[in-house]
Formats: sequence, C-alpha cells, structure tokens
Amino acid sequence: MSDTAQSQPLAIDVRGIRRVYNVKPKPVVALDGIDLQVEPGEFFGLLGPNGAGKTTLIKILTTLLLPSEGTAHIFGFDVERQTKQIRRIMNMVAGGEQSGYGILTVREQLWMFSQFYGLPSKEGWQRVDQLVDAVGLDEQREQRVSTLSTGQRQKMNFARGLLNDPWIFFLDEPTLGLDVSAARSVRELVLAWKAAVPGRTVLLTTHYMAEADELCDRIAIVDHGRILALGSPAELKRRVQRESVFRLELDRLDGGTGALRRLPGVLSAATAAADQTAGEERQTVVVNLTLAEDAALGGVVGALAGIGSHIVALRKSEPSLEDVFVELVGRGFDEEASEGEGAEPPAPDQTPDPRDTSHEAGETEEEEALV
Amino acid sequence: MSGTELPAAVGLASPEWGGFDPARTRGRGAADIRRSFGVAARLGWQMEANWTDPVLFFIYSVAKPVSSALILVLMLEVIGAGSRLDYRAFVVIGSALWSFVISGISGLAWSVLDDRERYRMLKYVYVSPSDFLVVLLGRGLARVAVGGMGAVITLGIGVVLLGVPFDPFVVNWPLLVIVMAAGIASIVAIGILLAAICLQTRQEAWSYPEAVAGALFLISGAVFPLAVLPAPIQAIGLMTPLTWWIEGVRDALFPGGLTAVGGPGSLFTSLGSQGRPDALQILVALLATGAVATLAAIAVFRTSDRRAKDRGLLDQTTGS
Amino acid sequence: MSSPYVFRPTRSPQEAANWSPRQILATDLRSVRGRAYPRVTGMFREKSWVFFEILLPFLATSAFVFVYRALQAPPEYIGFVVLGGAMTSFWLNVIWMMAQQLWWEKSQGNLELYFAAPMNIMSVLFGMAVGGFVMSSTRAAAVLVIATTLFGVTFAVDQWFLLIAVFLLTLAALYGLGMVLASLFLMWGREAWHLTQLLIEPVYFVSGMSFPVGRLGVVGSLAISILPLAVGLDAMRQLAFADSAYPLGTPGPQIEALILVAMTVVFLLVARWALRVLENRARSEGRLSVRWQ
Repeated sequence: MSDTAQSQPLAIDVRGIRRVYNVKPKPVVALDGIDLQVEPGEFFGLLGPNGAGKTTLIKILTTLLLPSEGTAHIFGFDVERQTKQIRRIMNMVAGGEQSGYGILTVREQLWMFSQFYGLPSKEGWQRVDQLVDAVGLDEQREQRVSTLSTGQRQKMNFARGLLNDPWIFFLDEPTLGLDVSAARSVRELVLAWKAAVPGRTVLLTTHYMAEADELCDRIAIVDHGRILALGSPAELKRRVQRESVFRLELDRLDGGTGALRRLPGVLSAATAAADQTAGEERQTVVVNLTLAEDAALGGVVGALAGIGSHIVALRKSEPSLEDVFVELVGRGFDEEASEGEGAEPPAPDQTPDPRDTSHEAGETEEEEALV
Repeated sequence: MSGTELPAAVGLASPEWGGFDPARTRGRGAADIRRSFGVAARLGWQMEANWTDPVLFFIYSVAKPVSSALILVLMLEVIGAGSRLDYRAFVVIGSALWSFVISGISGLAWSVLDDRERYRMLKYVYVSPSDFLVVLLGRGLARVAVGGMGAVITLGIGVVLLGVPFDPFVVNWPLLVIVMAAGIASIVAIGILLAAICLQTRQEAWSYPEAVAGALFLISGAVFPLAVLPAPIQAIGLMTPLTWWIEGVRDALFPGGLTAVGGPGSLFTSLGSQGRPDALQILVALLATGAVATLAAIAVFRTSDRRAKDRGLLDQTTGS
Repeated sequence: MSSPYVFRPTRSPQEAANWSPRQILATDLRSVRGRAYPRVTGMFREKSWVFFEILLPFLATSAFVFVYRALQAPPEYIGFVVLGGAMTSFWLNVIWMMAQQLWWEKSQGNLELYFAAPMNIMSVLFGMAVGGFVMSSTRAAAVLVIATTLFGVTFAVDQWFLLIAVFLLTLAALYGLGMVLASLFLMWGREAWHLTQLLIEPVYFVSGMSFPVGRLGVVGSLAISILPLAVGLDAMRQLAFADSAYPLGTPGPQIEALILVAMTVVFLLVARWALRVLENRARSEGRLSVRWQ
C-alpha cells in the first residue's frame, strides 16, 4: 500500500448499520448490524442473493438513504451529515439503469452530467469524447440514447460514472441483464480503469459469483442483511475446501499412484476415467490429486518427471463461492428462502482479517471460532 | 430423456404429448373483446381511484369543471349580463359538458403516455392477445366516468347556487339519453385520435389533450353562439360532432333556450332559413358527424399503430 | 500518453472533496445550463409543439375573446383576455414542466443520480425553468402577437420599464412557486398528479385570467396576496391598458410589483427549505428511488 493510501482514512467505514423499512404488513429489516471496513485502493465485493441488503447498503453509502442505526463514513466523511463532500468524490452505476433523456445523443447526455459535476463546458465535451472512446462507444456517440442497446447503454452509464474521476466508485450489479459479451466488456472497463488509477476504491455488489471472484480483492458474503463471511476469494473458498485438488492428465504412469501418495503434501492420489471425445483416441492416465497446499505440486511434478511421465493437462479444481454460500446458509442463491423464513439468520462470521494486526501471530484457520 | 419411443411426427405433435395446440391461437371473438375491455376498465378505475383521500379526490375532480363554469359566469357579471339567466344556463351547460370532453380525450391520450413512459407496460399490452384499442378504451372509461361526475355536479351547482332555471318536467329525456350516448362516443373517437398522435410524440405530449380541448372549445359553441365566428370557422364547427352534442343536450334540458348553432347571423340559419335546428336535425347531424369522426379516428389509430411498430416507438422513453 | 481515465488528479479525496465557494457556484450555474439543454434541444428535435403549444392555445384564448364579443363587451376586455391567455403559458409551464418534474424524474430513475451529484438540486429546477421558459415565452409571444393583430387589441403603455419589471418579477415568482410545488409534489407522490388538475381552471378563476381579478372581491384580494399569476396579471393589465376605465378593488401596479418581489423571495426561501426537508425525508424513508410512490 502506498504512503498516500496509508495516511488516508478508510475508504469505507461502516459500524453497526441497521436499516429498517416501515412497510405494510410488517417492517422489513434490510440491514441487520453491518460492520465493514474497506481500505483505500481496494476492489471490494458484496456478494449475496436478491434481497440480501446489498443495494440498501450501497444506497446508504452513496448518501441516498439514511441508516436507521449505526454510522458510515466515506474517506472520513459522514454519510448523514457530509453528503456534499462525499458526492464530490464518488460516483455510482447501477445495473439495469434506464436513466437519462432519450432525445439526447450519447455525447449530449454525458455532457449534461459533466455540467452537474462542475466541469467547464469545453472541458466537459473533451472529457466526454475521451470517455466515449475509452468505453468503446465511438460509433454511437451521435446516436440518441433511446436507440442504444442494453449493453451500449450500460457502457454509457459507466462513462457517466467516470466523468468526475471518482475516488470511490460504487457499482451496483453493473452487469445485470447484459449478455456475456457486454458483461465482459463492462468488467474489462472496470479493470482497465482500476489499473489506470490504482489508488481508487471500488465497491461492487453482485450476485454473480464468477464476477466477484474475478474482480474483487476481498468479498463480503451477505444474506438477510448480515455479513456471513468476509475475506479474499481464496480465503473464502478455503473454508469449504482447505486442500488443493488437481486433475492431472499424464501420458503414462508407471507403477500406479502409490509413489505419488508417498510424496510430502500429497493427501490422496487416485486414477480416474479419462474424458473421451467421440472419435478421438487418447491413451492417457487421469489422476485426481489432493494436496495439503499448492506448493506440494512442485514435488509431484518433479516425481512424475523422474519416472518418465509427461503431464498432458493440469487443471485445478476449486470450490466456487456458491459452495461457500451454501455451506454458510444451507441453500443456493436461487433456492427459495422458505427454509430460512422465520429462522434466525446465521451469526456473522468472525474470521479474522489477515491484515488486521491486532490478532496474535500464528493463529490458524482451525482456531477460528464461529459464534 | 426417457427411453419411450416417440411417435413419428406427422404435422404438429398432439397436445397430450406436450406439443403445440393450434387451438390456442384461435381467439374467442366477442368474448375476448368483452373480457379485455372489462379488465382494462377495472384497471383504469383502480388507477384513477388510487387516491388516499376520497374527499380530496372529490374536491379536485369537481373543482375543475366548477371553476370553468364560474369563470364564464363572472365574465357575464363583469359585462352586466349576469341577470340574464338564459345566458347563464347557456355557459353553465357548455362548461359542465366540457369536463366530459377534457376527461374523455385526455383519458385515452394519457393512458398511452402513462403506459409507455411511466409504467413501461405498453409493449407488454401490445404483445398480449388483447386488442390494444379495446384496452385503451377500457382504460379511458374511468376518466370519462370522473368527467361525468364533475359535469353532473357542476350542473347541480349551477341549478342550486347560480340560479340556472331547470325544470325536470320539461326535459326531453329520450333526446337527452340518445344525444349523450352518441356524444360520448364522439368524444372517445377524438380521444382515440389524440392517443394515436401521442404514440408518435414524446413525453411533453401530456399537455396536448388540454390544448386540443381548448381549440375545440372555440368551434363547438360550448360557451358562445357560433354566429359570432366567421363563416368558414362556423362551417368547421358544424362538422364537429361536439357542436351537435352540446346543442342536443341544451335542447333536451332547456327546450326553447338559447341556441349555439342557429340564431341571427349564423351559417346554419343562412343555409336553411331556420332559426334553430330541431331535435331530429340535431340527432342526424350528431350521428353523421360522429360516424365520420369515429371512422377517421380508427383509421388514424391503425396508421399510427403501424408507424409506431415500424419505428420502434412502443417501448421508447422520451423524457426531457 | 495520459490515460483517458485520469482527469485533474488530486492528491487525496479530502482535497477533491474540498470545494471553494467559487467552485460551488460555478457548478450550480453549469448545472442550470446542463439541465436546460435537453429541454431546449428537445424543442428543435420534435417540432409538434409548434402546433400543440402555440396554435391550439391561441385558439383556446380566442374562445374567450369571442365570448366577450358575443356579449358585446368593451374592447379593453378583449385585451384582458389576450394578456391572460399569454400569461397562462407560463403558468402551465410551471405546473407541467416544473411542479411535476421531480416526480417524473424519480419515475425515470434520474432523481437519485441528481441527488448523488454534488450540485444543488435547485440548480436542476432552475435549469428546467430556463429550458421551459424558451418554449413558453415563444407560446406567449405568439398568442399575444397573433391575437392582438387579429382582434385589433390596442395597448396603451405609460410605464414601459415598470411593465417589463413586473413581467420579469411575475416570472421569477411563478418559477419560485414552481420549485415549491416540485418538492411538494414529490412528497405527495401520485396524488400530485391529480392535484395538478386543481391548479389549472381553479387558478385561472381566482387569478382573473379572463376578467379583472378585482371583481372577485375578497377572493380576489386573497389571490393577489398568494398567487403570482393573479397579482402579475393584474399589474400588467393596469400598465398595458393605462387609458382604460380599470375597475377598482386592487392595489396599484407599484404596490403589486412589491408584492411580487416579496413573493419571489418567500417562494425561493420556502423552496430551498422544502427541498432540504424533502431530501432528508426521502432519504429517511427511502423514497428517492422507488418508482411507484
């Protein structure tokens, strides 16, 4: 972390946030005691199913909603009382946004928003042209907003979000409703922007596991208004599967898997049926290997070379974040919450943040205690 | 996939097997129309009646037509003609009936704009089997009903508070019923015409129904006799079903009262040497002009419908 | 080569968040321009408004002219109606294009973007007013010029400066009221849609659109004290037809000009307060981005 980042207050500092909506027939608790700290420069993800409270939290952080209890600060500015300061340094893009004026062109729409952020007119047009090129809308720049496709509109929204060069960028399900290609473009844009301005912070909410896995430094899994688990994607997956599982395809394996099992760090090794594509003739041996850690793979590769086996293919098998969610909650993202209705939501995770130096050294994951 | 042998496909597979049933593409004709209309009318009423305070709703749905009447009554007063009760009856009926006009034409036009811009439902209604025109008519009916309520109350206030002389025993009730039915149909036809235009225009079209109603106000003899207008404009007025509708209602409610169509200097009198039209002439003119307006409205609507589909206007949002 | 993403780099978010009063003012003024842009552009891109916003309203005004002609009223009453018809353009702009607008923006999904941006929301409303003014002033001028020519209206103006000042003050007060209504309508949600109906003919009646408001007695006096349209129209009639036998019962145009100044100040202050209360309440209840409320 740079010195500048270290001297800055937390990008997001949420403590004890609760949000209750007073609706009929009974109030809805959208957020039920959220504590969250995001460092400057982090790409942080909120992952959870629909109705988990992700959008509610983002609305609080973007000063559009007041919390019922608790406090939240963006770079030290209070979301309740210092809204103007926050609005000058942040921007937001939501998925499925249909905002804007259909009668304007892409350029005009973006220029209009540039005025809301105080850019002088000429500078605004220049900035708009730069961003339109950067997001790949150069051919649509003079096209009316009402004629854009969903993917093009989202690119335009993304450009709008970058007009004021925000210090913190809130992305609320930015790829919602986009096709594979458009969603990929948006993710690439986010990463390109982050690479260009590495000190900037992103808070992304999504229910797409792969997206969170690909983009985020750290992820909080939320459900029923609570954080269930918090950590990097790798840390979260290790909760479910602490070992490293590999699938090796070898040209031959003399002596079977016995020799592999005796290698340090190898927990199990077993041959499996190879995938045969119709019409193809392959004579390979597939071995499913379970290692205590990734580092043990080096020993395996060396041993295989020693017995004359060549590795044709190597693939790591990892649990997904949905596996993590299922373990935490007992249901998938798409399943009805009927099992959970009326039941107490699971207690928040107490996994120590690896960067939190207040913990004693040497504490292992096995010593975590779930309250 | 089960191991069951599938029957050889001959044409379309049978519905029992889970295949396509062509019977589903056949509608039920008039029954479907009735059902679409009924659902749309109920929906329209629920939307119009979605007010938190019925008293408030009553006030503002009545305030508009009553204020219109009061404006004209005051205009009579300032000129010193306030004591002429036949003038007063003339303007009160005209402005009371005008609430039907505004409600009717705005109801249909605003349904299009509401569904397209606010609720974004227009495209879904279009792709449903219901005829959009039938749905529109049903939706618009609620506003016509609100307009009717305002008209009745305005007339009541005119009679009770403003001294409009009304005698129920001289009212030509059969004429009134026929004229009202034909007149409302004409209003709805104009509403369809305006809705067709709104399909092509952008969000600012919210104010168009009021503008159109204002223009029709000039040529329909609602608040002054057509004789005051130049002859060419009187001719346009005589070709408008609203003129004959208002004339018919006046003739039914106040037989022998002031006429908007006839009178000295009017085109009607100069063409037919008649002081005023009689009930039969009013009915024939109303039905004829109403039929023309209805046919024209449907033709324009269908054209607009095609153009909207051609240009992808059904799901556009056009705010500014 | 500089990245397109980098723009005016600042050393810290605190530096970026700390704006000078000049920067704040510049942003608000630019926001006015930005928000007016779609209104003005829209006028030139879809020209049906020429028919619906100019020709048809002119015909509606003409209807009232003919009512007076049918009653053989003195000629200055024709002038009253023409002037009233021209000024209603601005009133309709206020209620259709300002009062409803924030509620409309919420439906479109723009409202939360406006509140999430750093400019003052009043700038957005000013921008709407400026954009709408272009269209409504075109309409008013057309009605005035065509009707004056066609119906032979004769103006007799002694105090041009006061007349122009009263006109501008009327607009300022009208748009100030429009801002107050915009925040109220947003709070009232769908009821506001219906309440717009309460603001057309009833306001025309109590403002004396077609007759001198002094004839309404106490009601007229009340209207003059709270409705910019009533007091502005009355003052402009007294100034524009200085040689006519104007009915008594209303203050002179100088007094009415002062009333308009007071109205402008009050409405702008109330609008500022109302928008602040609105924003706090909307944030508290979560109503900035829910469409159907």
